[in-house]
Amino acid sequence: MSEAILVGDNLTKMFDKLTVVKGASIAVQKGEFVALVGKSGCGKTTLLSILSGLERPTSGRVRIAGKEISGASEDELALFRRENVGFIFQSFNLIPTLSAWENTALPLFPVRMTEAERRRRATEILDRMELGHRVDHLPAALSGGEKQRVAIARALINNPKIVFADEPTGNLDTATGDAIMAIVNRLHREQGMTLLMVTHEPELAKTAERVIRMQDGEVLS
Amino acid sequence: MNLHYVFHELTHQKRRTVMAVIGLSIGIALLVILNALSLAYHEAARAPLKEIGADITVQRPGNVPEDLAGAVFPCSAVTIRKDEIEQIKKVFGVQGTGTAVLLWVFEPNRAWIVLGIERENPIGPSILKNFVVEGRYLEEEKPEALVESAYARQFGIKPGDSVSIAGRQFPVVGLVDASHAAKIAVANLYLPLSEAQAIAAASKTLQSVSPFALGDVNLLFIRADQEKITSVASALKGILGNKVAVATPDSFLKLLGSFFAVSDKFTLVASLIAILIAVLIAFKTMAGNVAERAREIGVLKAVGWTNRNVTLQLLAESVVQCFIAGFLGLLIAYAAAFALGFMTVNIPIPWEMSPTPHFLPGGGAAVYKTLRLPVHIPISLALFAVLLSVVIGGLTGALLGRHISKIKPSEVLRHE
Repeated sequence: MSEAILVGDNLTKMFDKLTVVKGASIAVQKGEFVALVGKSGCGKTTLLSILSGLERPTSGRVRIAGKEISGASEDELALFRRENVGFIFQSFNLIPTLSAWENTALPLFPVRMTEAERRRRATEILDRMELGHRVDHLPAALSGGEKQRVAIARALINNPKIVFADEPTGNLDTATGDAIMAIVNRLHREQGMTLLMVTHEPELAKTAERVIRMQDGEVLS
Repeated sequence: MNLHYVFHELTHQKRRTVMAVIGLSIGIALLVILNALSLAYHEAARAPLKEIGADITVQRPGNVPEDLAGAVFPCSAVTIRKDEIEQIKKVFGVQGTGTAVLLWVFEPNRAWIVLGIERENPIGPSILKNFVVEGRYLEEEKPEALVESAYARQFGIKPGDSVSIAGRQFPVVGLVDASHAAKIAVANLYLPLSEAQAIAAASKTLQSVSPFALGDVNLLFIRADQEKITSVASALKGILGNKVAVATPDSFLKLLGSFFAVSDKFTLVASLIAILIAVLIAFKTMAGNVAERAREIGVLKAVGWTNRNVTLQLLAESVVQCFIAGFLGLLIAYAAAFALGFMTVNIPIPWEMSPTPHFLPGGGAAVYKTLRLPVHIPISLALFAVLLSVVIGGLTGALLGRHISKIKPSEVLRHE
């Protein structure tokens, strides 16, 4: 773990006069699993948005896989996210009108490739998520755990350099949450997936290799 | 743009899609049917002239002699000189002419309406040759006559009989059912043009009010370039004087009295309203759709869709939806056109165009050309309607897509 895949340097984010993130600096090594913890409202989700390129910082710089993204345009950021970043959201954020495989393949829709190739790649990942039998099901026909597994599959379809997870078990019961975390841990262990996870649950944070704490917009450790 | 995604969105949100498609299709159907109706009335207005192979008829009004005896001209049609006809033939837009001489002939015991016709000229009343019900049609350069079948029945005239007109004898060679041929320049007796001209030229009564030479006529039929009918009609007034009566499809259209017939502006305004309705429905539906999907669009952008990708996707959805609506609107319009095709329309024929002395039976009766409204949708109108739907869909999708694609994913995904 000698190479920093993600570097946030002295990041500040202000909404009007409210400073949500205050001079935060953070580095995540390639293959590392880091948990970002803190109380609700401490700015961790905003920091995650800045680090993943969803949000621009008011000041400071972000570098992912050696590329400076702080000054990139909206479309440049979108293309960068498509090729380098995966997201797992608390409320899954699946498209209700698309089947499991289509949701998984969502980042590939704008990419020039055949429908068959998209389906093959999505099905392959869903198989790994033990959802091979649910590929044609709509989200409404899936359980909460299955939905989150589809969301994980979507995050992985582009072989991202880093995956950002925001409270990935927040909408799941304990057993299902544990199962999802087992999958995340397996992916990290077996495939060396780099992961930055935001959570407010100390138990969940313990599964990470390193924990970064936030309080009132500042990174403490 | 992903077509799977487009069709999933449209089929999954069935109610929204169906409402939008129905609303838009009604707007498109209205637009098409209004224009088809306008075209139908225009075509109907052409019918009275079309059946005598002309686009314009010309008559010069004049005086009737005080003493109605022998051959006279009706007051609505006095002499049009040969040199005037030669000038008219040179008017830009005139493609051909036909002539006739219409006479009222008052015999001591009978009155005749006599029409002298050019035997073979397709512009004018020679259409009668297709309506011979007994005997034969007129032959070249022979002083012979055709009698209208109802008139012949009334007076017991048969082919083989002879009739006396202004002191000249004409063998009756056939009977014609003129009522099915045309409503303009209808007569009781049909003669070769040269014979009618000779009768007119020899009539002192007629000459006393309207000098007439052999070669002159009193009815003129013109076939003209469709685009130049108005300018030809205007040129005719320059040659024959402002009092000349010029009948064109437009003058019949005015007689119809329909909103569609009276004013192209009505059709234009109604069409614009229909288009506006269609645009508003498309915009409102799409705006609602986009507003509901702000979060979904945030997700698309988060996973790497560019603004252009999002805009194209929404544009495709809008175009497909509007294309379906346009196609459905066209089907509705075709069904409406079929139903409206059963409507009949009565086109009044001015007395002056087929003058009968008022003191004769039926002389003052109104004459109508009755026909089914020829409602059809030209392929150009159908294509325009579908194209318009697609353009409405494209503009709406592009406008709203462009607007919503600027959404920041972090803003819509933050409040989980």
